[in-house]
Amino acid sequence: MMDRREKWTKVRIRLIGSLFVGAFAIVSARAVYLQVVKKDQLLKLAEKQHQKIVQLTPGRGDIYDRNKAPLAVSVEMDSCFAEPRSIEDIPAAAAHLAPILGVSRDELLKKMRGSKNFAWLQRQVTPETAQKVRDLEIEGIGFVKESKRFYPNAEIAAHVIGFTGMDPAGLEGVELKYNSTILGNTGYLVTERDALGRDVALKGMVVKKASKGQNVTLTLDKNIQYLAEKELAKAVLESRAKAGIALVMEPQTGKILALANYPNFNPNSYSKFGPQQLRDRAVADSFEPGSTFKVFLVAAALEEKVVTPRDGFNCENGSYNIGGRTIHDTHRYGRLSVAEVLKYSSNIGAAKIGARLGPERLYNYLRNFGFGERSGLDLPGEASGYLRGRTQWFGVDLATISFGQGVSANAVQIATAISAIANGGVLMKPYVVEKISDDNGTVLQQMTPQVRQRVVSPEVARTVAKMLEGVTLPGGTGTNAAVDGYGVAGKTGTAQKVDPVTHGYSVDKRTASFVGFVPVDNPRLTILVVVDEPKTSPYGGVVAAPAFRAIAQQSLCYLRIPPEKELKNKPERIEVKSPAVEEQQAMAAEGTIAEAGEGAVMPNFRGMSMRQVMQTMEKRGLNVKLLGSGRATEQNPPPGRRVGPSEPVWIKFAPAA
Amino acid sequence: MIDRRLFTNFDWTLFGLILLIAALGVFNIYSAAASYTVVTTPYFIKQLYWILAGLFLVVMICSIDYHMLEDVAFWFYGAVLFLLVVVLLVGKTSMGATRWINLGLFTLQPSEPMKIVIVMTYARFFSRYPVFQGLTLRELFYPVLLLGGPALLIMKQPDLGTAILVVLIACSMLLYVGLRWTTVVSLLLAALPSIYLAWHFVLRDYQKNRILNFLNPERDPLKSGYHIIQSKIAVGSGGLAGKGYLQGTQTQLRFLPEQHTDFAFSVFAEEWGFLGCMVVLLLYLFLILWGLQIASSCNDRFGSLMAVGVTAMLFWHVVVNMGMVIGLFPVVGVPLPFFSYGGTSMVTSMVGVGILLNISMRRFMF
Repeated sequence: MMDRREKWTKVRIRLIGSLFVGAFAIVSARAVYLQVVKKDQLLKLAEKQHQKIVQLTPGRGDIYDRNKAPLAVSVEMDSCFAEPRSIEDIPAAAAHLAPILGVSRDELLKKMRGSKNFAWLQRQVTPETAQKVRDLEIEGIGFVKESKRFYPNAEIAAHVIGFTGMDPAGLEGVELKYNSTILGNTGYLVTERDALGRDVALKGMVVKKASKGQNVTLTLDKNIQYLAEKELAKAVLESRAKAGIALVMEPQTGKILALANYPNFNPNSYSKFGPQQLRDRAVADSFEPGSTFKVFLVAAALEEKVVTPRDGFNCENGSYNIGGRTIHDTHRYGRLSVAEVLKYSSNIGAAKIGARLGPERLYNYLRNFGFGERSGLDLPGEASGYLRGRTQWFGVDLATISFGQGVSANAVQIATAISAIANGGVLMKPYVVEKISDDNGTVLQQMTPQVRQRVVSPEVARTVAKMLEGVTLPGGTGTNAAVDGYGVAGKTGTAQKVDPVTHGYSVDKRTASFVGFVPVDNPRLTILVVVDEPKTSPYGGVVAAPAFRAIAQQSLCYLRIPPEKELKNKPERIEVKSPAVEEQQAMAAEGTIAEAGEGAVMPNFRGMSMRQVMQTMEKRGLNVKLLGSGRATEQNPPPGRRVGPSEPVWIKFAPAA
Repeated sequence: MIDRRLFTNFDWTLFGLILLIAALGVFNIYSAAASYTVVTTPYFIKQLYWILAGLFLVVMICSIDYHMLEDVAFWFYGAVLFLLVVVLLVGKTSMGATRWINLGLFTLQPSEPMKIVIVMTYARFFSRYPVFQGLTLRELFYPVLLLGGPALLIMKQPDLGTAILVVLIACSMLLYVGLRWTTVVSLLLAALPSIYLAWHFVLRDYQKNRILNFLNPERDPLKSGYHIIQSKIAVGSGGLAGKGYLQGTQTQLRFLPEQHTDFAFSVFAEEWGFLGCMVVLLLYLFLILWGLQIASSCNDRFGSLMAVGVTAMLFWHVVVNMGMVIGLFPVVGVPLPFFSYGGTSMVTSMVGVGILLNISMRRFMF
């Protein structure tokens, strides 16, 4: 009896036990299914549930000039937000915040009472404001770092750099043209969200910082840019003009070293400026180039050998009838050589050269010099200028186009075309962005000078350059552009503006310009100055040439380009306001701080090549001992010191790094 | 009355196992409630109080010979049944259910002791019923009557979870006692029409919804299906090794419903992963098998029946709770014994373990 009962019990318990174990096995299997098999899917669901994303202003890359001086940088600013559901007393919070944030109470209330539990109250506030808000210690008010664009040099190069809007897209200039490069990936504020939909951002906020944008280095030189802007402003103000453009370019490469517009603006507060100030005239405006066009005409005629430098042209005493229209010169000339046609800027002479060349060839050369199409400069909004199709040239057109009437071009086109003369006849593509690099300094893209085409032969280019030098020599129209110590090739331009109302030429409105390059034998800089509607004098040689000279002289000095000729003027002629020590040393390099007296003053040779040193020493009559090779690093006596007759003079050179 | 032999025979293994599970529970409640802003005593501290109270009950129960229960089983049954009727008439209503009697000092939930009492009652009933060929349909009449009264009263409250548990505990005991095949087949044949009737006349809408939503949680993902979906997400996203203690996003951001009570195991599963789950599951398996071992080694039929019944009670709590957490069963409010926060559950489970310990320590006595 007992045995049977015990056996029965054991069997029943084993039955129940196996049922229970079976149930646990099913539970385990289910756990495997959920936690191993479906894990990824459920994890995704989990993340989807508790992540809420708020977009943040992406960080923009920096913009530098060619010497690594910052032109546009991004600074981290605090942006203030509210999480209304975490705020106990919304009206009180609004009342406290309104005076600090400078936003009206009603507006804050409206933001905080919106349907979403995340509201920006004020983005990019100053550190002081942020601290004041933090001191209030209101629960549900928080901050997140966002980057704000800052332009440390204010107006300098404003038109080239451009500016950005509040959403950080570039709106103008390089900021716009290279927006996709400079702009980083959008950042995200990932606020975790709990089951009740409340953000728990204040404790569990994750800012998913996207990569910062890439840095852009410009071809611009901040110092030359500053000089150009300063001198342009002076020229415009002195001539009581409406506006002006100054452009400095490296003729061999097409690099823009400076691009100045007047009036200008401060990109840090661009919204306070009107379209007049914001307009990048150098790129977006085209105007009649006037006499500067004669340069291209002469180059074409020489290249085509329809004229020789020795040919003479009868300039008809200042008045010449052609195609039913009378052309005038400002002065009466008789017979002028080709060089003289340029030097005195004779329209009649130009018309006669144009007649020899013929419309076909003139048109082709002008196209080859880059007129009638965009230069390809990497800045937004370039005007293409206007060069009528060859089939639409009638009557007097050949003559007028020969001296720059009835065509239009923008400043970059003119400077680029003149650079072709300076560059031995090769037209380069102008550019402002030198390279693109990341934050570690790794260069991602390096721009190189790009040849567009050869326009004229080196010999013709050289001949034209020499002719253009005559313009700035005594008696020429551009004597005001002459730079002491250097040969300057240039051309004045004075064009009547087209009246927008009558569509005829305006009686008094002129565009005065001067374009040229320097030094003439080894051109380093192409400079263009355009003064729009000057009141004092309509002539480029009067209102634009002095600015050209000032920019050229100071830039050459700054770049330590040794003079080619004996200096005639006293050093006080040079007014470099920029207090950089470097520049003062550079002045010493040209002996400008030398005073009359015995013994030569020792220039600053540092950085010069051996050839430059020798040229300079030769001019000064100094006997010098050269040690090593490469660039000058050390010298005795130090710069600025007078050299005694028996003092040892030596210069040490070291290979450039 | 307290024999020295009782002390030497005390089942330290079972006792230690319970303490281990309870300690894991406290540890887990700390994390589950970490995101709560509580001004009063934190839940894990309160749970410690309940454990202490439960251990006191264990000691109390152990000091009384369980054979005494055989004499009072029907009295207990009568008393709890009476209280269930009282609840139905004058009970305190909270959250749509009338489960509590306000006794001034505290509120009593008579459905909870019914789990123990039905075990006692069945043990008392079957200990006098020496059948070894299995029960016939006719022999089931009284047991069904004894079960039916309280089960219907509890379902009426309504408290589906407890009612189902009471029925499952009773069925387990019947299975232990043994049923004839003819009985099983007849019951199954009778079950189909009764399910139909129950669906239309007994179950409340919310109960029907729970069952429907269990079958298809997407039916109502934001309301009644929410619990199952959220729990599955929490458990599944824990993966193999879990997200780490206090690191469960679903827990800490409070997507889990009732995460310190009925869904405490979801929290654990999220933060400790599959491996953690297996550890807890094995501890419970060990507890269940140990309980059956006690039943097996017990020399009297009442004790053996009691041990099986109490073990079945613990087992069904574990399986129904875990099944709910991992989406195997519909959401019925069944806590995980010793692990979920809650005084009622702790007291019931501790009383059950007290009985097991009582039986275990007296296995050599007659």
